[in-house]
Amino acid sequence: MSADGLAISVHGLTKTYGRLVAVDHIDMSIPTGSIFGLLGPNGAGKTTTIKLLTGITDITDGSATVAGFDVRREPMSVKQRVGWVAAEVILDDDLSGWENLWLQAQLQRLSDWKGRADQLLKYFELSDRRKDKVGTYSTGMRKKMEIALALLHEPEVIFMDEPTIGLDANVRRMLWDLITGVNRSFGVTVLLTSHYIEEADALCDRVAIIDQGRIVVTGSPSELKSRVKEDFIELETSESVTQEKLAAIPGVSEVRSQGRAWVLRVASAEEVLPAVFHALKTDGIRRINVEKPSLESVFIDITGKRIDQGGSDVPDYRKFYANLRRAQR
Amino acid sequence: MSTAAPTVSLPTDVVRSPATRTGQLQQFWGLFARELIKTFRNPWVIVITLVQPFMWLAFFGGMMSELPTAELDTFLLHAPPGTSYLSFLLPGVLATGMMSIGMFGSMSTIQDKRFGFMKRILITPTSKATVYLAKALGAAMRGLVQIPVMIVAALAFGVQLHGDPLGWLAWIVGLVLLGLGFAAFFLAITASSTDWQTPGVISNFITMPLMFASGAMFPTAIYPSWMRAIADVNPVGYSAALSRDVMTFNQFTVTDLTYLGYLAIFAAAMVLIGTLVASRYLRVE
Repeated sequence: MSADGLAISVHGLTKTYGRLVAVDHIDMSIPTGSIFGLLGPNGAGKTTTIKLLTGITDITDGSATVAGFDVRREPMSVKQRVGWVAAEVILDDDLSGWENLWLQAQLQRLSDWKGRADQLLKYFELSDRRKDKVGTYSTGMRKKMEIALALLHEPEVIFMDEPTIGLDANVRRMLWDLITGVNRSFGVTVLLTSHYIEEADALCDRVAIIDQGRIVVTGSPSELKSRVKEDFIELETSESVTQEKLAAIPGVSEVRSQGRAWVLRVASAEEVLPAVFHALKTDGIRRINVEKPSLESVFIDITGKRIDQGGSDVPDYRKFYANLRRAQR
Repeated sequence: MSTAAPTVSLPTDVVRSPATRTGQLQQFWGLFARELIKTFRNPWVIVITLVQPFMWLAFFGGMMSELPTAELDTFLLHAPPGTSYLSFLLPGVLATGMMSIGMFGSMSTIQDKRFGFMKRILITPTSKATVYLAKALGAAMRGLVQIPVMIVAALAFGVQLHGDPLGWLAWIVGLVLLGLGFAAFFLAITASSTDWQTPGVISNFITMPLMFASGAMFPTAIYPSWMRAIADVNPVGYSAALSRDVMTFNQFTVTDLTYLGYLAIFAAAMVLIGTLVASRYLRVE
């Protein structure tokens, strides 16, 4: 742990691939023992940030200190003190649960690790499957196994990249409990990335909202939510609707255009909706959605779009990296 | 779905080896053992590794053995009269087989990159050089699987084997060095690759010329001069010549030690160059 009580401290962190700026001068201070969320749409730079902070990818510019060590100057010291849980669950399926733990212990140069490994298996309720190949585990078990691996060497910080992506509601709920449990029981700082609003809201002490490589706002979920007092009405309409027409509706304080989609800022959606329907009764409303104050509306407020807009539930890594490679050339 | 019981207390007494050579050795052992476990747990890998050289003996060796003895004796030149072609071919096939094992090492590395496991490895304090060396030695070890089976197959084909224990030791060490050299070579040129096809393409490209210009299949004396020039520097030929001297001709001499030395230099050079290349270019994705 560093003297300033920060598990992670980042200044002007930047990563470029050719002309593509994946992470753009971000600053973060994450107190020891907290759960910090990087919330943003797919391709916002969340995973790249984790790769920079774990020393897997070279930093283009700026500085980062993790668990008291400078990532650029002492990457190996950082790697001894961090754990990592991948979005896509990365285990060696040909090896048993115990063998995966054994390998992790060798790579982290541990001796005398078996007691802790036993306890971790017990904690994650995997003891009776320790000898089975992890390829035969259920999705939830695989995720737990990955967290056990990440905790084996007593890390000070755990990075969790989209920890619940692609999981069903039950497993997601279980993982939320595990993440807060791990944070409390092990005193480990958690940095997680997510594009699920409710996840960041439920788990994180503090959240940084990231878009196009830049952190647009940071604060506790309640602080962020209190930034936005108004509701948003999102509309998708026929082409005949104009900005002027929408702005003229009583109670609409701001209109933002996104092609055929519109975002209206209103004091109270319930009160304004009848007027909206009235004003647009001859125009086609194709879709309508009300966003009450939430982290989503904070994102809409700042960027004019939804966090999940344009992104599928499962990020298209191949496409993303293909773009990166093209940019690198 | 149950939730975790936060009441379980965890011992916080894991002990870490210092970041010294011992620590690196522990990391190397972990990765090397993983390679071995994965190889021996996949029956198809073993079957194909074994069948490939066996087919050489059966098809190619079987055909050549049908030549009239007099012609074969002329063809094999310096071999003692009556030497069977199979006993001439066996050492060559074993040496040739070591060339393609590098391809498997490369493929397993590319698989680790594509499935993200390389990220899992490199997010621990493990150096790229350690990863590289474990992969190279793991691949070389896989190549050794074929040796006992080939010998049994050769005996079944009626080949008579000779040699003293020291000669056999030199021969096996030579094969390991050859395999290590080729594995190191393959891993170095595919260090930054994530394409499944690359190792296969390279393997196809180099295997044929190096196999024929080596003396593994035919005596180099019948080669045109340009091919002999290649054979003179081709480590496959040195390994084949060493094992032929030991197993077929029963004459382990100082010349064979120089062959072994040449193979050692080849392996060391490839490992050295490869380590430098991998430290720089081994990419996570």
